[in-house]
Amino acid sequence: MSTLGALLTGFCAAVPPLLAAGFWLGRRTARPSARPFRRAGLGTPVEHATFQTLHTASLAAPPLRAGLTEETARRASRRLRSLLGTEALCLTDTDRVLVWDGAGSHHRAEIMERLAGPLETGRGEAFRLSCGTPDCSLRWAVVAPLTVDDRVHGALVACAPGESAVLVRAAAEVARWVSVQLELADLDRSRTRLIEAEIRALRAQISPHFVFNSLAVIASFVRTDPERARELLLEFADFTRYSFRRHGDFTTLADELHAIDHYLALVRARFGDRLAVTLQIAPEVLPVTLPFLCLQPLVENAVKHGLEGRGEKCGIAITARDEGAEAVVVIEDDGVGMDPGLLRRILAGEAGPSGGIGLSNVDDRLRQVYGDDYGLVIETARGAGMKVTVRLPKYRPGVHPAAPGTGGLRRG
Amino acid sequence: MNESHAVAAVALVVVATALVGAFGLRVSRTTSDFYVASRTVGPRLNAAAISGEYLSAASFLGIAGLVLVQGPDMLWYPVGYTAGYLLLLIFVAAPLRRSGAYTLPDFAEARLASPGVRKLASGFVVGIGWLYLMPQLQGAGLTLKVLTGAPGTLGSVIVAVVVVANVAAGGMRSITFVQAFQYWLKLTALLVPALFLVLAWRGDGAPTRAFDEPAAFREQRTVRVQDTVEIRLAGPLAVTVHGRVDGRPYDGDRISLTAGVHTVEAGSRLRLPAGAPVPAARGAGDTALSDSASAPQGERPLHATYGLIIATFLGTMGLPHVVVRFYTSPNGVAARRTTVVVLGLIGAFYLLPPVYGALARMYAPELVLTGNTDAAVLLLPDRMIGGVGGDLLGALVAGGAFAAFLSTASGLTVALAGVIAQDALPSRGIRHFRVGAVTAMAVPLAASVLAGRLPIADAVGLAFAVSASSFCPLLVLGIWWRRLTPPGAAAGMLVGGGSALAAVSVTLVGPHPATGVPHSLLAWPALWSVPLAFLTMILVSLATPGRVPPDTDAVLARFHLPEEIGGGPGRKENTA
Amino acid sequence: MSHEPGQTAERPARVVVTGPPRRHHGRGRGAPYRPRTEIHEQTTLGHTYVRSLMRTQLRTALAVFAVLAALVAPLPLLFAAAPHGRVLEWAVLGFCLYPPLVLLARWHVRRAERHERDFVRLVEDQDR
Repeated sequence: MSTLGALLTGFCAAVPPLLAAGFWLGRRTARPSARPFRRAGLGTPVEHATFQTLHTASLAAPPLRAGLTEETARRASRRLRSLLGTEALCLTDTDRVLVWDGAGSHHRAEIMERLAGPLETGRGEAFRLSCGTPDCSLRWAVVAPLTVDDRVHGALVACAPGESAVLVRAAAEVARWVSVQLELADLDRSRTRLIEAEIRALRAQISPHFVFNSLAVIASFVRTDPERARELLLEFADFTRYSFRRHGDFTTLADELHAIDHYLALVRARFGDRLAVTLQIAPEVLPVTLPFLCLQPLVENAVKHGLEGRGEKCGIAITARDEGAEAVVVIEDDGVGMDPGLLRRILAGEAGPSGGIGLSNVDDRLRQVYGDDYGLVIETARGAGMKVTVRLPKYRPGVHPAAPGTGGLRRG
Repeated sequence: MNESHAVAAVALVVVATALVGAFGLRVSRTTSDFYVASRTVGPRLNAAAISGEYLSAASFLGIAGLVLVQGPDMLWYPVGYTAGYLLLLIFVAAPLRRSGAYTLPDFAEARLASPGVRKLASGFVVGIGWLYLMPQLQGAGLTLKVLTGAPGTLGSVIVAVVVVANVAAGGMRSITFVQAFQYWLKLTALLVPALFLVLAWRGDGAPTRAFDEPAAFREQRTVRVQDTVEIRLAGPLAVTVHGRVDGRPYDGDRISLTAGVHTVEAGSRLRLPAGAPVPAARGAGDTALSDSASAPQGERPLHATYGLIIATFLGTMGLPHVVVRFYTSPNGVAARRTTVVVLGLIGAFYLLPPVYGALARMYAPELVLTGNTDAAVLLLPDRMIGGVGGDLLGALVAGGAFAAFLSTASGLTVALAGVIAQDALPSRGIRHFRVGAVTAMAVPLAASVLAGRLPIADAVGLAFAVSASSFCPLLVLGIWWRRLTPPGAAAGMLVGGGSALAAVSVTLVGPHPATGVPHSLLAWPALWSVPLAFLTMILVSLATPGRVPPDTDAVLARFHLPEEIGGGPGRKENTA
Repeated sequence: MSHEPGQTAERPARVVVTGPPRRHHGRGRGAPYRPRTEIHEQTTLGHTYVRSLMRTQLRTALAVFAVLAALVAPLPLLFAAAPHGRVLEWAVLGFCLYPPLVLLARWHVRRAERHERDFVRLVEDQDR
């Protein structure tokens, strides 16, 4: 993941300087005179040609960023041909012609036959075209393979009335430029996969400590109070079933609250009366859809902070209220709080895995699903408790609960 | 009438509303059951809440007033308000809930994936909401004026301030309980006095003149005209006048007015003989909820009735405050069951306004002359029973009326504030909902204060007509027709809703062709604007087949599949 | 910063903290987040199934609509034409129309729910 990220940033960082360098070179070659930087002028014809070329290239880029398909090739081909200034241009993938722009498309089959070699070796080639059609002016073609990571994806073929060294060079350069675009397309795709994988990894991180502690508590009741132990085991089963369910990224607030209930039952078994939880839920917001397990970590965090290093009771308040098109959920504890600077670093992903990992995870997922406007808002200071506010839009395209939103998970 | 009782009742309703809003929340502690707090709202509670929100000032006061002026034809209003829920049930309820949409713009976006259509829908939602809020505020002003003689705008301002303060401060944290409470309050406030009134009527010998046409005075009566009115006489009428009629001063002279339109100036007193037919006022000041202006008595053509039927039957499904309440149902099946209960609850409520209308035709016919017909429900207890009993019953009715203004206005404000905060204000944040709430209320308040003298009476009817011609096609076609496209939806809403709006605006402000077919077609546009909207939407969609959203099939599957299957990949994995 | 646990009255003031914006995946309104669930919905059930359910439900809805139209549409004409039209209008509109509305609604809900149950059975049988 980090290698891919580095690669990506590398590419993003590398492209603009290259373009700038090309532009600068263009200027230098255009103005060999004593005054290299005359800013006041309106540009020489060569400068204008450079602008034109850069502009054309930039227009051809977006379609190619979606990968090499018939559709994207079609949309890019006209720009590419005007970049090369040739009679006909053809883009192929490894087994067929994707698009033929310009005259002489009856050469398709012939071109594909002659491409076998270049596609195999990944090296360019030029050859004469044999043509029986009387008014066809194309007599010669140059092939430049399109390669991504040393793998040939296809080829760019430029056809002309006669042999031309300039065209050979130009075709090679354009092919290289197209290859870079395709490489970026590949990266885009892997970035999308990456985000999906990230979401998958981000969701449902049930802490191993919690599992061990819960099992230990249940074990402690087995002999003294078997009935209680049985109940707790069922709570534990319900909670883990919810956490480990494999389908869907979203749940309803009602179901999430049920999971929190099971979680709190287990915590209470361990800490007894030290924990006091107050709940205020406006029933209107219970059907709201939200990322799966995004409130439970906040409650877990509040429990941890509330009980940390204090002998007496700890209070946690969970409120959910209706605000028109949004639901606002607030989780507040009166525990030890946190240093705002540290918290800021945790949220920025800069601090180590010291507590609060749940917070940054939830913050990440909320921003990923709803956008940056919907990150966590946390009010805290050392010794001042902590108040976490989550805003959830009631409707967002593509956000639907995956499970039957009807009931709880509770048995009976 | 004793003012103090009524004022106390109104104050009590306001305080009770605030209290239920603040404490109606389910609060649970560790020891009590968490499960209770996270249980979704059941169909019955939600249905009472929907009914409470839906029964507005137009239902509570307006229908009786309309029946008083225009007779039983106006009973199509409550029938339409109720039948609207039947159409909502059969075509929209479950799929709308399953779409996951909170507001109508959400629905448009979920179905058509088009920001443009979303924006357009937001515009219509805000427009319809404002049209609907305006008469609520005016009704509140009127109620307070009738009860205490306070200036007409005071009541509007009170309701506006209470609602905005409650909504913006988050005071109404659980609006479901508030609204459900208001339904039962309104039902009680109309039912209990009605029982006493019917008893009083039987004690009076159970006269049946209510069903006569037109309404007539039972005994000689003197009427004081507060605001200058134009009255329309079907035949000549002999009256004794103190004041100015048709610009000429009289002092206790007995004159005979010819058939036609006469102007009675403010402050005049008319003494009418027993048995005289009640002349109808035109363009009077306080007909906030009735629409005597657009369809004078006895001249109601059939197509106007059909226009009214279509508007109310089809308009309900597009009202912003109705749609958002369905989000509270946990699933599509619950949404359907909720709707059936709503039908029962509002059906039961609507049995009462006709009773008041009929009694008002016998016991308070002069209200027609002064134009104060919407006050009929408020004045009847005093008129028929009198004494302390009458005062108390009058206070109960006044409290119920205020509950009506408060509940409908709160529901609309919450719905509108959500849409405004989301689609109109630039960026979203915690405070934007409050700004949205203030905006949602400020515009109709300003309009109702500034346009107080205009016959904006038809505002509710207009809101229904616009909703029926814009959102009804969008919802019905969006849910049942897979070839709907964003351009089609936008064109249909613009043509249908726009033409309905334009037509009624012409009758309200433009120079009207006083009577006749063109006038009633303009005043009741639903008859032609709804088919026009459907047709436009279908034709433009068929003309733009390339614009059918790519995931239409998946979206429609989600709308229609029962939840246990719609969300069923997991289940499927398990069984496979 | 020193603090004394438990003494709520002397609590230091809280500071508001938010995470840094993640511009690279800022999803505005225009670029909706598309989860896998939707794809699942599209592939788990054939469109044929969905369409048949839609047709059945629409038929029920249209049947109710037809009954309602047949019930209501002639009424204004009847009131205008009948000899005791006014009295009839008071009775029908004031009272008699509401029970049929509620009954129609109940009938529709029963039918719609039965269709959905049948549909679930049909699909589940297909699975096995």
